[in-house]
Amino acid sequence: MITLQLLVNGLALGAAYALVALGFVLVLNATAAVNFAQGDLVMAGGLLGVALAPHLPGYLPLPGLLLLPVVLVLMAGLGLLLAAAAYLPLRRRPPVAVFISTIAAGIILQNGASVLFGPEPRAAPPLLGGGTLDLGGLVVAEQSLAIIAVAALLIAGQQWLFGRTQLGRRLRATAQDPEMARACGVPVTAMILITFALGTAFAGAAGLLLANRYFVTPTAGGDLILKAYIAVTIGGWGSVPGAVAGALLIALFEVGVSSVLSYPVALGLLYATLLVILVARPQGLFGEAARRRA
Amino acid sequence: MSEPLLQVEGLTAGYGGALAVDRLSLSVAAGEAVALLGANGAGKSTLLKAILGLVPATGGRVRLEGAEIGALAPERRVRLGLGYVPEGRRVFPGMSVRDNLEVASWLDRAGRAQDLERVFALFPALAGKAEERAWRLSGGQQQMLAVGRALMGRPRVLLLDEPSLGLSPKLAGEVFAAVCAIAATGTAVLVAEQSAARALSAAGRVVLLRLGRAVHDGPVDTLPAEALRDAFLGG
Repeated sequence: MITLQLLVNGLALGAAYALVALGFVLVLNATAAVNFAQGDLVMAGGLLGVALAPHLPGYLPLPGLLLLPVVLVLMAGLGLLLAAAAYLPLRRRPPVAVFISTIAAGIILQNGASVLFGPEPRAAPPLLGGGTLDLGGLVVAEQSLAIIAVAALLIAGQQWLFGRTQLGRRLRATAQDPEMARACGVPVTAMILITFALGTAFAGAAGLLLANRYFVTPTAGGDLILKAYIAVTIGGWGSVPGAVAGALLIALFEVGVSSVLSYPVALGLLYATLLVILVARPQGLFGEAARRRA
Repeated sequence: MSEPLLQVEGLTAGYGGALAVDRLSLSVAAGEAVALLGANGAGKSTLLKAILGLVPATGGRVRLEGAEIGALAPERRVRLGLGYVPEGRRVFPGMSVRDNLEVASWLDRAGRAQDLERVFALFPALAGKAEERAWRLSGGQQQMLAVGRALMGRPRVLLLDEPSLGLSPKLAGEVFAAVCAIAATGTAVLVAEQSAARALSAAGRVVLLRLGRAVHDGPVDTLPAEALRDAFLGG
């Protein structure tokens, strides 16, 4: 039963990490640039939830759930701003220019959050409720189930969009060969803007989901960008399913090892495992898919 | 001869300070297939890219059906009627054959389905591989896919860059037969090719390039052999 309990906790954490990694890898594929602000965007999504929560009418049955679409839309707007300020003006410069500009954007977000919210940890409201459910002896936090359900829904939505729609085909074509996509009539700049909006919205959703169970501080993004980076490296650089699988593996590993040893040991072992993967299988666990950007 | 669909007037383009296309003019009419011949580095690929806007032109004009398109972004030019088959195919490797084709269409679902059928009729080898990832296709099939992808935009003018490169003579023949069939439907075709014999067999007119300039422009049967030799071997 304890194993099952840990599995649920790991899946919930992994589902949130998966949204972070998904947003990270979508932007990476579309622009060939690493968005180092992704972790800080998660933090921004969490604090946005914290800031908006008092304004929700309390008489509604599920006020927390109402925050999700609001955070998604506002964060998508922030993604457009990020692209316009930190990517588009530098897109023809060497990649390091975008690395630095996204790091700068992340620092601006961190400092802005510190000024507005202070350094104390904050909690966003739960999506469904703050209680627990007893499923035949297995006690599960309602928020954990909400995290898994929302992340699954968003990831399924992303898969549907990219796999089944004409917009998704254009987004994938842009990610695989932007010049050729333009030669097929695809408005590549618009596709890049949409990708930034999607990636940032996913980061915001992850922030809102995590900010209830794990709290949020202005500096929380640093750890999350590393997790996203590790997930994408483990899953295969550029692989969308690999990023999701990598994120789930990281979280299960983190929760499992933390329960037996401790969280710092789990983190240490996670980075050690990353080093082993980089040496033994640099293409990641889903390397072939990554090479062809499935 | 009908009014040209594509008119290039005094086009100049290059990379950095190096001039690859030098004040070049040519035109292609509806239903006409024009071969663009020249040695490596003659400027064939750069000319096609400059017509499409992938390489910025530093001078001259590009007109499509009489309208100046030289200031437009490549995607706008494609939407207005240019189609492009690049050297080396450049299909989207992780996407299925169907998705590679559909991404280049701007029609609704029914229109896309109709055009897919047309492409599969032109290239039956692709029909059975619609759900196959493009990287799994052979070189010849990828070339067919690249041509089919360009056709999905219903181009009035089709630009092809080295369509026989790396293909067996049989497959190259199939691709050129398709090019002839496309021209026969009224599409203007401009095909850059190193294999002179193959291009001349498919084209009605030839433009010979040397160091970025057109040194001959006329019907295939008026092309002097020495001009062809000089363009490829120097002299």
